[in-house]
Amino acid sequence: MMNESPPNDRLKAVWQNQPLEGIRISVGEIRHRAGKFQNKVYWRNAREYVAGIGVVVLFGIEFWGVPDALTRVACGLIIAGALYVMWRLHQRGASRNVPAEMGLASGLEFHRRELARQRDLLRSVWSWYLAPVIPGLVVLMLARARINPGHLRPIGLSSALIALLFIFVWWLNHQAARRLQSRIDELNALEGQR
Amino acid sequence: MPAPPPTQDELYREAADSYAAALERLARAYEADAEIRRDLLQEIHIALWRSFEGFDGRCSLRTWVYRVAHNTAASHAISQRRKKSQTFIGLEELENVPDHREGEQAADRRHALERLWELVQNLMPLDRQVILSYLEGLDAASISEITGISPGNVATKIHRIKNILARRFQEGGRHDE
Repeated sequence: MMNESPPNDRLKAVWQNQPLEGIRISVGEIRHRAGKFQNKVYWRNAREYVAGIGVVVLFGIEFWGVPDALTRVACGLIIAGALYVMWRLHQRGASRNVPAEMGLASGLEFHRRELARQRDLLRSVWSWYLAPVIPGLVVLMLARARINPGHLRPIGLSSALIALLFIFVWWLNHQAARRLQSRIDELNALEGQR
Repeated sequence: MPAPPPTQDELYREAADSYAAALERLARAYEADAEIRRDLLQEIHIALWRSFEGFDGRCSLRTWVYRVAHNTAASHAISQRRKKSQTFIGLEELENVPDHREGEQAADRRHALERLWELVQNLMPLDRQVILSYLEGLDAASISEITGISPGNVATKIHRIKNILARRFQEGGRHDE
């Protein structure tokens, strides 16, 4: 142990002798709580699928209810897009860190990996969350325009608003990913000095 | 005949017996709210128990325990930061930022402890790991193994920590003895 000046020695003593609640958890209790925790994770993931299922049901009803072929193609494309998004959500859930990795990775590695995971998620929002539903939305707007040629202006306006919203979401994520990248670069620099 | 390797439950019991107090102090440094802190501590214990399924003795039990605990707590701190829009500060920054209570005496243990909690809870996760390990009495090599920061950088950070602590707590000890 390093030689310490008296104030630092005192601070260490203050820290190490701080009053504690003395919380202890038995192995049985840990097993029980780990099971409950797994259930909680399961239901949290399940909630993420609810919105996707809602889209599938809504456009499924539309698919069977409308006679227009182009609208049905649009509904089919949107359903396919929603199913793809749910599959990616499932994949993301499966690739989360397991505790054993926490023990194998140092704080630096773990921190960088977490940041990189968040960055990749933000960077890929366009490809896995927004892009899959775009073909369906475009075809849906075209179908609406074909059915209602007199309403081209409001259809065009709503299409432009949706496009703007998508671009805004992409831009926000892109900015957040850039901020994370600069923090990853700082960590890489820290490791480069090893 | 060699002894069979310890089971997941045995490893957890050994870790809990040896490091329960250190883990509680660690949780205290990552979460100020008592209720959420109990949840965090429980989360750390669960992560530890689950992690021992994959413990292969590549590093010491102590390093493993601290890594799992710090990494679990750092994830918690990062997600809480998003919720509370809190910003973290680095040791380098902290060294140059004057403390509004600088010079004020940390007159008793309780006061000194409260100021330590406040200081530690605003640090960035990696710097927090270094200062906590330092306060727990670990040497630079152990801190380097736990955090992944090179021994040279750990030494620099510890030097900064000593400066910060000396500046903020220089008068405290005299009233405590």
